[in-house]
Amino acid sequence: MPSERNLRIAAAVLGLAGIAVATYIAIAEGGGGSPKCLVGGGGCETVAESKYAELAGINVAVIGIAGYAILLASALVPGDVGRFAGFVTALIGVGFSLYLTYLELFVIDAICQWCVMSAVLMALSLAVAAGRAFAYTGTGLETTPLQSGHGR
Amino acid sequence: MEGSEEARKRRVQYLSLATFAAVAVIVALIVISQSGGDDDSEPPSTLRGAAEVSALLDGIPQDAQVLGDQSTAISVVEFGDLQCPVCAAFAAQVLPQLITDQVRPGNVTYEYRPWDIIGPDSEPASKAALAAGEQDRFFNFIQLFYANQGEENSGYVTDDFLQRVSTEAGVPDIERWNADRAATKWDPVLAKDNSDAESLGFTGTPSILVTGPGGQRALEGFGLPEIESAIQQIR
Repeated sequence: MPSERNLRIAAAVLGLAGIAVATYIAIAEGGGGSPKCLVGGGGCETVAESKYAELAGINVAVIGIAGYAILLASALVPGDVGRFAGFVTALIGVGFSLYLTYLELFVIDAICQWCVMSAVLMALSLAVAAGRAFAYTGTGLETTPLQSGHGR
Repeated sequence: MEGSEEARKRRVQYLSLATFAAVAVIVALIVISQSGGDDDSEPPSTLRGAAEVSALLDGIPQDAQVLGDQSTAISVVEFGDLQCPVCAAFAAQVLPQLITDQVRPGNVTYEYRPWDIIGPDSEPASKAALAAGEQDRFFNFIQLFYANQGEENSGYVTDDFLQRVSTEAGVPDIERWNADRAATKWDPVLAKDNSDAESLGFTGTPSILVTGPGGQRALEGFGLPEIESAIQQIR
């Protein structure tokens, strides 16, 4: 098992990458357009046009930004609070990403590559958060906090 | 040892609570998602897009399922299902540019062949469109249908909905349209569209075939650059 410090660094990097992807989607859709698919096809336009692009009037990408921001924050918080928050958030993120992927495949009939990228980042975040939570929850405050540079 | 057991118990409690909380939030998000937004299972009470469809098609000759000047040798053929949301996106985002740039100037014709693959509501929709084509309103009908499309197989394709689309599409004789859409002559037409689409290797809608003096291209995608590139190749 990697040290908790390394897991927290990985979680922070994934959180930042997720914020970047979700911000791009949110800005592209907020401007009245849609994210540009990297390898052609019109999947991103179709998904962005669908009614599922919003949740209670809020763009799903904005919810994604919030989710990744919580993941980033939980990576920076030592101890069980950070472990618990990271694991719960990543679990919610993966569950919701699976639901969105189901919608893309079977309801909207279109795949948005940016959404897939976000789903992959969220799955990786869950792997890292689960590793941190399962290995270190209940072991007290981290004795080798992120800032100290010591391994556990 | 006791401390380690305590830590294990605490870990199990934390993680069980985390999992329970996450599942509850995911369920709540899905419920909100399913209940929010436009309810696509109901067609809108007033049809959308009538003015845009008129502006797009006015002045372009249409004969049954072919739009444009038929003296040109190049044809862009779409195999589509009126219930297909991606076809609706194609109709809204790609087709207007193709019609404006290529069909209206007479460079190509655009042909639409119904390929009913989504479900039982597809066939009455296709027959209604083909019947509108008998009065040269086929493209007005399909563009308006796509602009007001509901959720797949949700039952929104009612006689009332089809008649509203037909009326808004400018079909002059609704009584005749009603008789035409009930005709059995469309069954072999739809069967041929189905077999042709399959023999071309298409697997979903919309699928695009471009034909011309230089042969034919069955496209993998349906973006405008790909279609225009195929037009250049078979010119």
